[in-house]
Amino acid sequence: MNLFTLFISGMLINNIILSKFIGMCPFMGVSTKMESAVGMGLAVIFVVFCASVLSWGLYYGVLVPLELEYMKLITFILLIAAFVQFVELFIKKNSPSLYKQLGIYLPLITTNCAVLYVALDNITQKYSLIETIVNSIGVPAGFMLMLCIFSTIRERLRGNDVPKAFEGNPIAFIIAAIMAIAFSSLSGLV
Amino acid sequence: MQAFFAILIAAVLVGLNAFLYIRNRQTPVPEGCEDIKPDCAACGIGDCALRKKFMEMKEEENGNR
Repeated sequence: MNLFTLFISGMLINNIILSKFIGMCPFMGVSTKMESAVGMGLAVIFVVFCASVLSWGLYYGVLVPLELEYMKLITFILLIAAFVQFVELFIKKNSPSLYKQLGIYLPLITTNCAVLYVALDNITQKYSLIETIVNSIGVPAGFMLMLCIFSTIRERLRGNDVPKAFEGNPIAFIIAAIMAIAFSSLSGLV
Repeated sequence: MQAFFAILIAAVLVGLNAFLYIRNRQTPVPEGCEDIKPDCAACGIGDCALRKKFMEMKEEENGNR
């Protein structure tokens, strides 16, 4: 699979939210405003990219030579949690402006299963380092794209007359389902 | 030997995690960022600090009404 195909596949065709239903928690929780969606999306891209590259290095640099491949799940979880703590600490100390924009989303990312999914997927698919890098940008870029599209729809919904029983999350889930159906039509593209 | 390395790797990562967690909590939030309002309504993670803040904010709003 060439790199461009891998990127498009990760971003649109195998979209992590609409085809795998992973990362639904921040998708529903942080999509009420466009501003929040962009902040969360950028933070996820950064963390997924760095965590995936680190996980890839840990797996092929440490676990494989020591024949400890079975430990990938526990080590990746710990590595991601430690990395997010480090990023939060670093931003707190060095960039208050960035903390103001992204800091609030960092604790949410620790519990975002999308980060772990991408790290594990890179290993399961036996991607090289370059493929890992491309996949680790494409997948969270798709996450951000969906978050932004969804937030604009929810912003428009706020001004509309939604039946009381469907207000809030119920109508959001219905919209997410319709978006998933629409995006499933891309599945034969690659 | 393999078990020793497995325990060692896990211990190092747990230790690193604990160290960074404690350092992170000890580091003060930058000026002007103390009162950032979270905007996450649907997430159900009970022990998330943001959610606690959000629920407190909601309770305050309800109390003011």
